[in-house]
Amino acid sequence: MNLEKDDMYTLLVFLPSLMLVGYFVYASIGWNVIVSLSDWKGLSPSYNIVGLAQYVSLTHDPVFWISLQNNLLLIALFVPGSLLLGLFLAILLSARVRAESTFRTIYLLPFALSFVITASLWAWMYNPSIGVINTLFAAIGLGFLRSGWSTNSSIAIYSIILALIWQFSGYTMLVFLAGIRSIPESQIMAARVDGASGLGLYRRIIIPQLKFPAMAAFVVLMVFALKAFDFIFILTDGGPGYSTYVLPLMMYRETFSMTHFAYGAAVATLLFAVVMVVVVPYLYLSSRRTKA
Amino acid sequence: MTFPKPERITLYILLAFFIFTSVLPLWTCIMTSIKTAQDVIYTMPLEPPSSPTLDPMMQAFDIMKRPLLNSFAFTIFATILSCTLGSTNGYILAKIRFRGSEVVFLLLAIGIFIPYQTVLIPLVMTISKLGLYNTIQGLILTHTAYGIPICTLLFRSYYEDIPESLMRAAKTDGAGTWTTFRRIVLPLSSPMFAVAGVFQFTSIWNDFLFGLVLARGTDALPASVALANLKGTTTAFWNVQMAGAWWYALPVVIIYLILGKYLIQGYMAGAIKG
Repeated sequence: MNLEKDDMYTLLVFLPSLMLVGYFVYASIGWNVIVSLSDWKGLSPSYNIVGLAQYVSLTHDPVFWISLQNNLLLIALFVPGSLLLGLFLAILLSARVRAESTFRTIYLLPFALSFVITASLWAWMYNPSIGVINTLFAAIGLGFLRSGWSTNSSIAIYSIILALIWQFSGYTMLVFLAGIRSIPESQIMAARVDGASGLGLYRRIIIPQLKFPAMAAFVVLMVFALKAFDFIFILTDGGPGYSTYVLPLMMYRETFSMTHFAYGAAVATLLFAVVMVVVVPYLYLSSRRTKA
Repeated sequence: MTFPKPERITLYILLAFFIFTSVLPLWTCIMTSIKTAQDVIYTMPLEPPSSPTLDPMMQAFDIMKRPLLNSFAFTIFATILSCTLGSTNGYILAKIRFRGSEVVFLLLAIGIFIPYQTVLIPLVMTISKLGLYNTIQGLILTHTAYGIPICTLLFRSYYEDIPESLMRAAKTDGAGTWTTFRRIVLPLSSPMFAVAGVFQFTSIWNDFLFGLVLARGTDALPASVALANLKGTTTAFWNVQMAGAWWYALPVVIIYLILGKYLIQGYMAGAIKG
């Protein structure tokens, strides 16, 4: 029997990963929680524990409430917007379209690109003086629609949401299209025989069977709506004023621009807690589903 | 041959409209990157330049070449490392199994979803303490560590589909756990290495946050951060910025066009972005 030698080997192979993830994920999360309970401000670390003081000051901080509100706006608009547009594209493509793979490739391309690229592109699209959208509006006689898309504090967050829906709808399309294709042809035929057609077929037969793809995409979008950072950091950097701040951006600014480490860590801990509320039930449910 | 029904025509009009919206930002980016500064101002953003120029491309390349090399270096190494570890971890969790392996897997899977802000302060402290701040090695270590969860998930679900009978056959032939891995499992793994490899390469290449907090100056500056810095300067006009965006996008666009089907499998496996 070489079982013991095998087990030794397994442990040896597994250990580096366990240590890396254990340290960089779990120990680091714990460390971050400890920092959030301290009074660390300025460049030299302080682990003088002051309890929940940072969390209490958060509740008095208007920037925190603006950031939270913007994250909620992303959840309320970006998540359903991407789901619906993706579903719509998937339904269009499921109708036996010629050159389907070309359409799919083009729709999904924005999702493959870095947020640094898409944010640069949309900065140019939204540029108020010579940017694409305003110039186009002027050219087709809709000059009165010219706006400071990313520079007007009352609409900047919506401009961000629109651009993010642009980037993510290809992904939701992909997920829904795979869902539609996995429905057995015989079921659709049977429904056709029963007289279902066109939209009725989609509403009664196809869309109800997209529950699991919808849930998977929903979780991915929710998590993104909470941790969105790169795109906003580059396009508006939270501005104008604080109008497009979100929690991850607030954490970054408090920590790395203002060296309020404990305060930034408190924002990060809250963010982590909210993301886990979304993710843990999903992981639990999907692990039960695979077992069943 | 029948004449297309009105609804088919509507369908294609809608599809074409979404092609237009998908491509519009990319199209104007290309057009702008081959215009002179005057043309950027005096021509429409969608129209081709009257006299195309490669100057913005050259200028942007001068600024971006070192960061692009940096990005290639840490992306390639971290991709290889995280995929290798993902493969052995996936094998352990799918085929060896032990008490608590489900829990270990769940703990690893949570690592896919954590908002990186939650670990940012400890990460910067750790990397600095190790003397790896502003180094390629620091970025390799970071991207490998945070890449392990998704790679493990990808390989585990792939290995679960390898029939148990194949494993048992190897065992009755006297092969140990790791001989089986080397002789049976690994040779079957190349499709998954393609999926995980392409997925990791694009995710790490596209990353911004880790580069932002772990690299300053030039030694390890990733292309993502260099491009973002380009946007902040007044000297780089729109044509140079758009040209820089193309240089940075190019490797991912090439991979997407050639190996897109593997990338799509990665996205479908519950993979996430951002």
